[in-house]
Order: sequence, then structure tokens, then C-alpha cells
Amino acid sequence: MKFFKSLTTGQRTIALSLGFMLVLSIVRLFTNADDITSSGTLSSTLRVATPILLAGLAGVWAERVGIVNIGIEGMMIVGTWFGAYGAWKWGSWAGIALAIFAGSLVGLLHALATVRFNVNHVVSGIAINILAAGATEYLSIIFFKGQKGGGESQSPAGKGGYGEFDMPFLSGGRIGSWRSPDILGWLEKKHDLPLLPDLAGVLRGLVSDIYVPTIVAIALVPITAYILWRTRFGLRVRSSGESPQAGESLGVSINRLRYQAMAISGGLAAFGGAYLSCVFTSTYRQGQTGGQGYIGLATTIFGNWTPFGVFRGAILFGFPSALKFRDEKNVPALLLVIAVILVALGIVSAMKNKQILTMGLFIGSAISAATYFLVDDVPQEFVAATPYIVTILVLAGAQQQLRPPAYAGIPYRAGENH
Amino acid sequence: MTGQSQFGQSHLGQSQLAVELHGITKRFPGVIANHDIELLVRPGTIHAIVGENGAGKSTLMKTLYGMHQPDEGTITVNGTLVQFKTPTDAIAAGIGMVHQHFMLADNLTITENIILGAEPVDHRGRINFKEARDRIEALMTSLGATFNPDTNVSELGVGQRQRVEILKVLYRGAKILILDEPTAVLVPQEVEELFTTLKRLVADGATVIFISHKLDEVLAYCDEITVIRQGTSVAHTEPSQVTRRSLAELMVGSDLPDPSGRETKVGDDVRLQVTGLNLAGDIAGAKLALEDINVAVHAGEIVGIAGVEGNGQFELCESILGLRTILSGSISVCGQELSHTETRERINMGLSYIPFDRHREGLLLDAPLWENTFLGREENAGLTNGPFISRNKIEADCRTIIDRFGVLTPSEQVPAFALSGGNQQKLVVGREMAGHPKILLAAHPTRGVDVGAQAAIWDELRHARDNGLGVLLISADLEELIGLSDRILVMFDGRVTAHLNPATATPEMLGTYMTGEEQGVDG
Repeated sequence: MKFFKSLTTGQRTIALSLGFMLVLSIVRLFTNADDITSSGTLSSTLRVATPILLAGLAGVWAERVGIVNIGIEGMMIVGTWFGAYGAWKWGSWAGIALAIFAGSLVGLLHALATVRFNVNHVVSGIAINILAAGATEYLSIIFFKGQKGGGESQSPAGKGGYGEFDMPFLSGGRIGSWRSPDILGWLEKKHDLPLLPDLAGVLRGLVSDIYVPTIVAIALVPITAYILWRTRFGLRVRSSGESPQAGESLGVSINRLRYQAMAISGGLAAFGGAYLSCVFTSTYRQGQTGGQGYIGLATTIFGNWTPFGVFRGAILFGFPSALKFRDEKNVPALLLVIAVILVALGIVSAMKNKQILTMGLFIGSAISAATYFLVDDVPQEFVAATPYIVTILVLAGAQQQLRPPAYAGIPYRAGENH
Repeated sequence: MTGQSQFGQSHLGQSQLAVELHGITKRFPGVIANHDIELLVRPGTIHAIVGENGAGKSTLMKTLYGMHQPDEGTITVNGTLVQFKTPTDAIAAGIGMVHQHFMLADNLTITENIILGAEPVDHRGRINFKEARDRIEALMTSLGATFNPDTNVSELGVGQRQRVEILKVLYRGAKILILDEPTAVLVPQEVEELFTTLKRLVADGATVIFISHKLDEVLAYCDEITVIRQGTSVAHTEPSQVTRRSLAELMVGSDLPDPSGRETKVGDDVRLQVTGLNLAGDIAGAKLALEDINVAVHAGEIVGIAGVEGNGQFELCESILGLRTILSGSISVCGQELSHTETRERINMGLSYIPFDRHREGLLLDAPLWENTFLGREENAGLTNGPFISRNKIEADCRTIIDRFGVLTPSEQVPAFALSGGNQQKLVVGREMAGHPKILLAAHPTRGVDVGAQAAIWDELRHARDNGLGVLLISADLEELIGLSDRILVMFDGRVTAHLNPATATPEMLGTYMTGEEQGVDG
């Protein structure tokens, strides 16, 4: 315990990830569910996680500047529609660009309501969600209905793809026309070894078969962190969410900052939406977002309003979803993973002398292990619900240590604080 | 009093003044806040501006800081006639203001709070943290501050936060500092530290304008004094030429009420009896918040509790009220044991409470006055019609309280936030007295109120005491404790560490007991 505390944050993250990999590796050897650490699972995890990641980053930008953005879902919906429209008319990247532009406008609309007219942030956000759902349906009737492949709830297919990326040497990417060896792929197939194939699989998942927009989205994590914590603009954004009076009294224009940050937030959310309608699939479908905006907002919260926290949250949610997509037989293995993790948490809490918590964790562990061994057929509904259950469990567990921006969602009028 | 003689020789206007205000008049719709004010501040001095709450001190300082423009009059800074449209103009002219309510972002570091709005950046907008840090550390050395500029502001105490506010102002190159009631939130030791800091700044060539209504500190630490009364400047003087009393009379404009002296006797029956009270700390495993507290308050007696804030006074009040579950010990009111009764029943038995923080606990700021005076008295048959509240009766009752305590307000319909601090406090005191309690827990009953309101509240407390009310008085104002109390207990670290006799106690003596330097029972 003392040793762990002496580590830096980076070292702790590495130690925890290695520990987690070890758990996965043991479970894989035990259950033969090879997919839980395969590169395919990992790359589809990234694919599932990307829209959530972008929605989460949208939440970070909004809440850090002091605005609660329940409207992320609506901004994503706008993104799905405009992304598909742009991709259909002009090609794939134009779709994403158009979506980001449209999303920024919706973000500005939310800012206008909350900053200029002081509308309650939740009310304005919900209005945006309803408006977005209605408006896109209406626009579909005008623009998509009667087109080839289009209809009132669906767009025609978009033009062009995005290109996939494989890292040379590590996962067999091409250099010119020469195909380099796939080192990680070779290592991954040594299923009898512990840990090594798992690490290889995870790494290979990160560097093979990746859409370029995914790379852009992941790059936005450190970029957001850099802007928020290293630049003047970022410091002012954070001060606006913590204590707008402080900034205002020092000559910072809080209102302008809030418009700017909300434009960024809306653009990011719409990028997430466009990812669904242009990258993940190639058509817009009504209801395509399926509440991912809300899940993104949840990752904002349990990511403690930091970009890297959001990234973790998005992966955490994406992983069970990806397993489910690849082969539903993998999901029961997750129960064992949960059991092992609960035992580990139980040991930690026992060392901290928290008896009730320890007992709860051990009982939880026993239940999930018993379920794995006793139940042969996991019901379809449970499989579908796994990502949500995992999200709820983590939310509940993380709740206590979170520190939201102090002024997020509180009405503020410039010049009224003196 | 360093530099005192130097000011004695020279007279106004001899050298260039740091700040010169002539004929400043500021009107708001329906009110003249400032009228023909003259203010002359010599460079390198601590200049106090004293006056009652609502006398117009803050309005004047906002004018000087560019937060609004005067309707008439001129502002001259360092010999140059200026017009400030915004605080940014004032900052550019070297004026900085430390607001009474701190404007700090808790979750940002000290450095981030200080540089906000004036960040040193490269051409890409990236903050140069090293440059910022170097400058801040240099300023901290000159202030004598010793915190790590990378810690979050949330980890700082009130005194340190104030120092960060001062650093913010200095970082922007201010040479003239305005401090708006800086000591209102500080405990005595922190006040001392603040003035040490200000003396250093003045020695380095800064000028400090210090707004206050606490006469002791003004007399002890300031070089010159300007008195503001009812929106205009009435006197310019120096501490050596006035006494505490004459200064107070200048502020109020009339003679002050006599200090205490009692004719009635302390009653025999014990109204409040606390025996062997123990209360667990906030965190499991931490030390006790209250340890073996024994207090008795008789009818017609005021028992004062002295102590630096945070030494258990708040917990004691909450335990007596039943807001906290005690570990062991007993509490009784008029001989009735209270251990297993609800707060509601305790209030019905005659317990009443003037809370520590009128904004957080005492008032609903957005609610009208009549709703506020009804709070906690919902079961008072005189204010209800069966199960319904009777608005007529409550409003009449509220008007009685307003009249009796001299609350300055247009009517009982205005929201509580519209009242000044002193009037809010009078309303709270009036409400708590209106139920004719048998025992009153009065926590800082005159904190942040002006001299006039203070005298009114003191009168009411004495009057009620003479009629048999038992009062447990918690106060940081040592004069108030010594003047009002029949006995004084000192609390330190969750324990009662001394019993003192107010007839022989002095503020200095209380101070040494309060900081735990001396313990043990005394006369």
C-alpha cells in the first residue's frame, strides 16, 4: 500500500493496467474466451468508444467553462444528420466538417440560452435534445425522402471512406508496396502463454485496423488537456467554471469564453455523431445515437472532468460493447473478470479496515463467480445490458472522490457580483 | 507607530498625494450614496476610512476603483487627474482592490489564481509558468508569505486566501491597495499578521487604503483616518489625536450608549445545564470534537464563551440544539433532560439560537422578511389559523419586530437580501427574542454590524437578561464578551480550558488563553 502511494500518477496507471491485464490473461487461460484480449476486440473497442469519447470531451469543455450540457445527445443527433448529408453530397471528410460546423452552431444556441437569457442549463439542454430529434426528422423528409437509398428516417449512403491505418512491423502495415511483418500478430497467436499474447493483442488492437477519424479523436484527448492546463485560454475556461466572479473582476470576459467553449463542445459532440453516421456506418438513421450522448456525459463525470478520465471511461464502456458485438459467448467471461477485480478491491478495503465494504465486495465477487459456474446460458437481455451495468457500477463506485467544477450549472450574470 | 512623527511635521498638500478625491458625489436612483466627499491619501501610509455600515465607504471605493463613475467631483492619482471607466483603467493606474468577499477559484492553484487575466504567455498562448512562478515567489518574499504556489486554493485558510488576494493585486503592479473590510473574516492572530504584511508593503513604498468599522485596529495600525458619515466625509484625523470613544462618536454622530453595568441579580434556577458532554470528531477515529464540557447558565445570567473560531463552539451549540448526536454526557433545559428529544421539542421548551452565519443558517435571503421572521415559529398558535399559516398575523408580528429592533426597511415584504448586514442581524435577533425564550444561544450576535446596530442588540440582550433570560454568548469580539458576560469560559481544542471573571479580565489576557498558551482555571 505504502509502495503504491509512493508512485507517480503515471507509474500507478501503468501498474494498474498491468494488473488488469494479468486478470484478463488468467481469465482467458481459464475460460478459453480468447477474444477478451484479442486485437480485434481492442480495435472494435476503440471504434465503439470513439463517439462516447467525443461526447465526453464535449462534456468536459462545457462543464469546465461552467455550463451543464445535457444537450450533448441533441448535438450528436445534429452531427449524425449533417455528417451523413455532407458525406452523401460531397464525400466523407466534408461530412465530418459540416457536422462539426452545425454542432458548433447548436453549441452556440445553448450558450445563447444559458448565458444571454439565463435559462436553466438542464431545461435548455433538454429543449435542444427535443429540437434536434424533431428538426433532423423534418430535414430528412425534405432532403432524403425520395432519394436513392434515402427515406424519412434514413439517409442515402455517403461517398468515400476514411482509410484504415496499420502500423508497419508491429501489425503488418505497408511501407510503399512492401508488406512488413506482423510481429504482434504472431505473438498474439501463442495462446498457451500467459500475459504475453494478451499484451500483444491489446497493443496490436491499438495500432491495426484503425480509422483515421479514430486517431483524430484520440489525439483530441491530449490536445484538450494541453489547451486546458497549459494555455491562457484554457486557464480562463477553467476559472469560468470554478469562479466566474474571479475572472470577471480581473478583466476576463466570461461571456465570450462561454460562447467559445460551447462552440467547441457542440463541435466535438457533433463529430461524435458524424462518426456514427459516416465512419461506423455509412448512413444516417433516425435514433442512431441511442443515448450515447448521455453516456458520454456520464464519462465526463466519472472521468472527474478530465480528458484522460473521459478516455478511460469511454474505453471501459466500449470494451463490453465490443465483446458483445464480436461474440456473445465472451460476455460470461466478463463475470469472472468482475469477480477477480472485486476480490482485489476487497483485499484493498480490508487493508484499510473498512469491514462492511470488504464484506460487500467479497459477496459481490462470490455472486458473479457463482453465476459464471452455475448459469450455462446468459440471457440475451443481460448481454445487451452489460455495458450499461458496468457503467452504473463504476459510476456508483467512483462517485465519492469526484470534484466537479464549482460553478457548473449555476446561473451567472456578468457584472452582478459587486 | 512607525512614521508617525514624519506625518506630524508635514501637512496636507505639502508633497504629491497618492490619491486625492475632491467633491465626489454619487447618486443612485432615489439615494445619494456619496455627497461632496474629500479624501486625501499620502503615499506610503496606511489610511483608514471608517464609518458605519451604509455610510458610503464601499461606494466611494468603487468609484476610486472604476467600478462606476462619480456624478460630480474629481479623482487625482499621483498628481494626475484621471477618469476610470472600468477597473482595468484603475489597475493600469496602479490601483488594486482586495474585495471583502474573496474572488478565488478553489480548484485552481495559487499561481493560476494570481496570474488569471494577466498570464505571461508566448506567441502561441502557452503560459510561461516558470516566469509566473519566479515573479510570484519574489512577491511572496516581500510579503513574508510562505505557501507553495502550486497548492490548490481550496487547501488554504481564510488568512492565507486573503494573502493570495493581495498577491493578485501586487502581481498587477498595484502601488495603491484598497482593502474593503479585510479583517471582517479574520481571527485576532490573522489580523495581526495582516497588518504586519501591510506594514511591509508600506515600507516598500506602497499606499494602503483600509476600510473598516473596527476602531481598535484602526487606532492601533493606521497612520491617518478619514471618517465617513451618512455619505459624506466628516473628519480627517490621526490616531494620536482621537480616542476610541471620540472616533466612535464621530462615526455615529451622537453620544454612545453607556457600557454595561447591571442592577439586577443573577437568578438561582439553572436554565441550561451541560454535564460531561463528549462529541465525536467529524472523521471516524479522529480526536473528540468536544471533550468533557460542563457549562451551567442561570436565569438572568450571560455566560460568555471565548475562543478562536473552530475550537468547538459551533459543535457545542449544535449539540445543545440536538443537531448532532453526542457520545455521552447530558444536556438539560430548566431541569428537563434533553438527550432523546428532537430539536423541535427543544425549541418548544424555550431554547433559542442566533446562528453563527446569518446567511447560511439564519435567513432565507430570497424570501420576504415576514417569512423569515416566521421561520422556526411554525407552531406558534399566535401566528396560525388551525393548520394554515395566517399571513396577516405573521406580517403584523414582523412589523412589531421591525419597529422594536429598529430594522431599516421599506416594508416587511422586501426580500432579506435587500437589507444591509446589520439590519439582517437585527431581524434575526428580533425573531429569536420574539418567542420569549428561556435560554438563548447567541453566536456572534453583533458580527459584521455597525456601532449603532451593535448598541441596539446589546440593549436588547441586557433587557432580556434583566427579565430572567439565560444567555450563552459566543463571540470573537472580546470587548463584547467582557462587557456583557457575568462569567467567561475559554474554549480551546474542544475543551473548556479556563473560567475567567470579566471584572478582572482584559482582552490581552483572554487572547493568551484563547491561543492555548495558558490553560487552567483562574479566578
